[in-house]
Amino acid sequence: MSVQESIRLSYQGEIALLEFDLIGEKVNKLNTPIMKRLHEVLEEVRTSKARVLIIRSLKQKIFIAGADIEEIKSMTKRDEFEKAVSEGQSIINMIEDLPMPTIASIHGACMGGGCELILACDYRIASDDSSTRIGLPETKLGLIPGFGGCVRLPRVVGVQAALEIILQGKTVVAPKALKMGLIDKCVHQGILDIETMKWANEIIAQGAHKRRKVFQPKNMMNKVLESFLGRPVVFSKARESVLTTTHGHYPAPLRAVDVISKTYGMADRAEALRIECEGFCDLATTDVSRNLIHLFFLMEMVKKQTGLPETSTASAKPVEHLGILGAGTMGGGIAYVAADKGVHVRMKDINNDALARGFKHAYDLWAKLLKRRSINKFEFQQKIDLVTGGLDFAGFGQMDVVIEAIVEDMEIKKKVIAETAKHMRPDAIIATNTSSLSVTEMSKGHPNPAQFAGMHFFNPVHKMPLVEVIRGEQTSDTVVATIFELSKKMGKMPVVVKDGPGFLVNRLLLPYMAEAAFLLNEGMSIEVVDTAYVKEFGMPMGPFALMDEVGLDVCIKVLRIFKKALGARIEMAPCMEALEKTGRLGRKNGKGFYTYNEKGDRSSVDQAVYADLGLKAPHNPLTTKECLERGLFMMINECSAALYEDRIVETPHEVDLAMIMGTGFPAFRGGLLKYADSIGSEYIVDQLESYAVSKGARLKPQNPLRNMAKTKRKFYS
Amino acid sequence: MSDRDVVIVEGVRTPFVKAGGALKNVHAADLGKTALKELIAKTNLDVKLVEEVVIGNAGNPVDAVNISRVVALGAGLPLATSAHTVHRNCASALESISSGYERIKSGTMDVVVAGGTESMSQMPLLMGSAFTKLFEKLGAAKTVGQRLSILGSLLKADVKQIMDMMTTAPLAETPYKPIIGVMKGLTDPFVGINMGQTAEILAKEFGLSREEQDLFALSSHEKSVKAIQSGRFKEETTPVFLPPQYSEVVSDDIGPRDGQTLGALAKLKPFFDKATGTITAGNSCPITDGAAMVLLMSREKAKELGYKPIASIRSYGFAGLEPERMGLGPALATPLALKRAKLSMKDIGLVELNEAFSAQVLACMKAFDSDQFAQARLGQSNRIGAIAPEILNVNGGAIALGHPVGATGTRLVVTLMKEMQHRNVQFGLATLCIGGGQGGAMILEREA
Repeated sequence: MSVQESIRLSYQGEIALLEFDLIGEKVNKLNTPIMKRLHEVLEEVRTSKARVLIIRSLKQKIFIAGADIEEIKSMTKRDEFEKAVSEGQSIINMIEDLPMPTIASIHGACMGGGCELILACDYRIASDDSSTRIGLPETKLGLIPGFGGCVRLPRVVGVQAALEIILQGKTVVAPKALKMGLIDKCVHQGILDIETMKWANEIIAQGAHKRRKVFQPKNMMNKVLESFLGRPVVFSKARESVLTTTHGHYPAPLRAVDVISKTYGMADRAEALRIECEGFCDLATTDVSRNLIHLFFLMEMVKKQTGLPETSTASAKPVEHLGILGAGTMGGGIAYVAADKGVHVRMKDINNDALARGFKHAYDLWAKLLKRRSINKFEFQQKIDLVTGGLDFAGFGQMDVVIEAIVEDMEIKKKVIAETAKHMRPDAIIATNTSSLSVTEMSKGHPNPAQFAGMHFFNPVHKMPLVEVIRGEQTSDTVVATIFELSKKMGKMPVVVKDGPGFLVNRLLLPYMAEAAFLLNEGMSIEVVDTAYVKEFGMPMGPFALMDEVGLDVCIKVLRIFKKALGARIEMAPCMEALEKTGRLGRKNGKGFYTYNEKGDRSSVDQAVYADLGLKAPHNPLTTKECLERGLFMMINECSAALYEDRIVETPHEVDLAMIMGTGFPAFRGGLLKYADSIGSEYIVDQLESYAVSKGARLKPQNPLRNMAKTKRKFYS
Repeated sequence: MSDRDVVIVEGVRTPFVKAGGALKNVHAADLGKTALKELIAKTNLDVKLVEEVVIGNAGNPVDAVNISRVVALGAGLPLATSAHTVHRNCASALESISSGYERIKSGTMDVVVAGGTESMSQMPLLMGSAFTKLFEKLGAAKTVGQRLSILGSLLKADVKQIMDMMTTAPLAETPYKPIIGVMKGLTDPFVGINMGQTAEILAKEFGLSREEQDLFALSSHEKSVKAIQSGRFKEETTPVFLPPQYSEVVSDDIGPRDGQTLGALAKLKPFFDKATGTITAGNSCPITDGAAMVLLMSREKAKELGYKPIASIRSYGFAGLEPERMGLGPALATPLALKRAKLSMKDIGLVELNEAFSAQVLACMKAFDSDQFAQARLGQSNRIGAIAPEILNVNGGAIALGHPVGATGTRLVVTLMKEMQHRNVQFGLATLCIGGGQGGAMILEREA
C-alpha cells in the first residue's frame, strides 16, 4: 500500500480537496500509517492559502469505514493503545483547528473513526444513497469511540441522540442524520460533488467563517432533558436500560455513559479527550473487548468464505426461485427471510389452512417492519407478493432450490423428496431443514444424492442468524457452495458441518440440557439454575427455558437417538423419563417447566412440575458454580469429540461462531471454545473427573480433551 | 395448422365472489396477481419469455391506472416486460385476449399473458358536484378568512347532503349526494339508461315472460352449484388468501346458491320497471369481484418449450349496435367471428354466452335462430343458427357466478376451453354483450 497515494491533496482555486482512496484496499480505514499521512497532509493544508477544505472519498460506497480493526487486534498493551488513541485525537484536533472552514462530503459508510473525523469538520454534507450510513459502532467491539466521538457527537446532536447512537453502536442513514442534525445537507449522490463545491464557494463568499455546531433542542421537553437539570435523568435512565439488557456483562456502554456525562459541556478539550482516551484504554484491554473483536473477525471470515475448501473450483449457482415444503413455523420463517431478500418463494403444504398459517407468519413479521417504518407500504406489498403457495407441485419446475421443512420422519421425508425431485430440474437442489436426522441417509431418497444437502435453520428463523449447511457424503461442491451463498443472501451466517447426530449445535446443546435435568433430580430449582445461566453466565435463556422452546417431547426423542449414536456419555435423568408421561410439551402446548400466557409468552416456573416429576420440593444443595460448570463443561467435552474425533467442523472458529449465532452463547465470552481456553483444559478435565466420580460416568472427560489437558493445549493455538 | 397459430397454454381464475363479500378488501391488482402467479406456477413459465402483459379492467382504480403493469410486477414478471391495460367495458378481458392474439398472429410476439381483473366492491364513491366545487375553492383560497368562509359553506353542504339522503330516492342524483361509481358505470353514457333497462327493452321486444327468465336463472344456479360440488371449477380456480388474519381462504365461487328455487326467484320485485317490468335481481347477474388470466403463445413457441396447449384461437369479432339493445351484442359479433373462422353455427359444439341478464340471453337465443333478425340486422338471408340449450353455459353463468366486468371475457374463454377438453368438442364459442352497445365473440378450437 502506498500510503502517500492513499490520501491526496489538490487545489481548485481557493478550495483544497483532501481525498481518501486507500491504495490496494477495498475500503478506506484509519490505521497508524494512514493517520501519519493524514497528519502530513493537514500540516500542508494548514499552511496553504486555501480558504476552504473539502474532505471526501474516492471509493464507491465507502467514505471511511472506521479504524483498522486488525491493528486494534494486534495491540495488547495499554500504552500501545494510549499512544495510538492520543495521537489519533490530536490529528483529528488538527482538522478542528485548521484556520479555514472544513466540509466533509460524505458518500458511503462513515463509521467509527470516519464519523469522528466528520464531527471535527465545520460543515457536513452527505449523499442520500442507502449506502451512506453514519455512526459509531465501537461499543459492539466492547470499546467506546476514542477519536473524540464521545465528546463531539453529544455537542452536535444532543445528549439523547448521541447516547442512542453510541450505546447501541448504531448507524443512521443520511435522511435520519439530517433530521438529528448530524449533517447539514443531504443530496442525491449524482450531485454531491457539485453541491459540495457550490457550498464551499458560498462559504468563501460569506467570509469563510469557521463554525462549531452546538445542538439546539427543539421542543420544551427536550430543552429540559438536554439542560443541566435534565441530563442526570437522561444518564441514569441510559445506565438503567443498559443494565437491564446486558446484565452488566458489557462494560463499554456503561463506560460511554460515564465519559459523556463527565465531558459534556467541558470547556477544556484536552481534559475531555483525556477522559475519553482513558475510558477507551481501560476497555481495550478487557477480555470482553478482545472477545467481541474475535467475534467480529469470525463474522468477517464467513463473508469471505464459500463453504468449500480452497482447493475446490466449484462455485455457487444463483438462486432466484425457492420452494419450501411445509408452511409451518420453520417453513413460514424461511419464506420470510428469503422473500425479504428478494427471492421468489413458493410454499407447498397439504391444505390451504396450513398455507394460510405460513403466509400469516411472514406477513406478520413484515407488518412489524411496516409499523416500525423500516419499510414503507409499497415495499411491504412487494415483499408479500414474493410469497405464493399451493397444494401441488405447480411451479417446482422453476425452482433452483427446494427446502424441505416437513415432519421429522425419515421414511416420510425420503418419500416426499423422491416425489419432489420428479417435478424439479435435474440441476436443482433439495435441502432438508432436519435438526436430527441423517442427511446422508435422507439423500438416498433423492434420485441424485449429489443434489441434496442439509440446511438447518434455528427457531425463530428470522432472529437466529446461524444456518448449518450439512454436507452429506455425496453432496456436490456446487451444491454446498450454492446453499452456503443462499444462506448469506438470506442474511444468515452459514457454517458447513459434516453429517452426524445433531450436527454441531444440537450435539453440543443436548448433553447440556440433559445435565440440567440431573441438576433438577438432585434437588436444584429451575429458577436457580436458569437464573445462574442467564445472569451470571450471560446465556439468553437457561437450559430449562431452552428445553421448553425446543419442545420437551423433541428433547426426549432426540436424547434417545443420541444415546443410541453416542453411547454411554449420553444419559437421561430419571425426571426426564418421568416427564414423558406428564403431557408437558413446553411452549407449544403452553405447559412445560414454565407456564405460558395466552400470547405464548413465558411467565414463570410451574411449581407443580416438581411433584409431577416425582421430585421433592427443591432445596438447592449445589453451588451455582457447579451448576454452571457441569452444563458448560459437558458442552466443551462433547465439542472436543465432535471437533477432533468426528471432525464435524474443522476449526474452533466455526464452533464459536455457530454457538453464538445459533444458541445466543454470550458474545462477550467469544464463544464456547474461547471460554474454554480462558479457563484452561486442565481445569476443565480436573473438574469433570471429580464430577464423574460423584455424579456419574457421563461426565468423564473425553480422550481429545484429556489429551489437550496433558499437553496444556488450547483449542485456539 | 400453422406455426403462427395462436394457442392458449393454460388459464387460471380466482373464485368469483359477490361484491361486498369475502373479497371486498382485496384490491383488483391483488386479484389479478393471484391468478397470474398461479398461471405462472402451473405452467412452470420462465417469466423472462413473456413479451407483453395485456389485462382488461373497467373500473380503473385510481391508485393503479395501468393496472396491468401493477399486476405484472407484483406477479414477478421482469421489470423489462411491457404491460398495458385495455378497456372494452364488459368485454375488456376478451379484448385483452384478442389483442394478444393479434400480436402473436402477426409474428410480432410469441408469448403474451392476457386476462382481466375487477374489484367492483372497490369502485369508488365520488363527491357530488356541489362538494367538488367547494373543495376546488378551498384549494385556491389564499387567506384564512376565505378558508373559514368556505369551511362554513362545507358545513351547510353537509346538512343539505343529509337532507337529500332523507328526501330523495336512493338512486336519484343531486349535487350533494355522493355518486356511486359502480351505478354510473352501469348507466349508458350515450342514451342515459341503466343496463337493467336495456334488458327490460329486450324482454318486452322479444316477449320474454318473467317465468322463462326465472327458469333460466334457476338453471344457471343449478349448473354452477354442480360445477363447484363436482370439483369441475377446481381445474380453473386458485384460492385467494386474505390478509391480515388469513383466517379465511376463498377457494370456491360465492354467488351460486345451492337450493335456489323458482318460488324464491318469483318473489323478487322487478327492479327497473316496477309496474310492467320482469327484470329482477334474481334474473340479472350480480356485481362481483374476480380475475382471470391466460397464457398465449405462437404454436411454434409452445412446441419449442414443450407445452401442450389446451386450445387455439380460430377467430374473434367485435360489432356495435344501439346502446339500448346492447344485450343483443352476441348476435352481431358471432356471425363476424364465424365468418372469419370460416365456420357456421353447426360446427360449434359448446357455447359460453355471458349471462348479463336472463332476458338478454334468451333474446340472443331467439335472434340466433331467426331469419328475420338475420335479414334485418346482418344483411344475410339465413339465420345464424340456433344455440342448442344443452351446449349453452353448461357450467352455469354470470347470473350465478357473477360478472366482474373487466374479468368476465377471460373467464368465459377459460371455462370454455377446459370444457371443450372434457367433452371432446372441436369448436367452441365464447361471446358476450358489452355495455355501450357492442358484442364480442371468440371461437376456439380444441388442441389434442
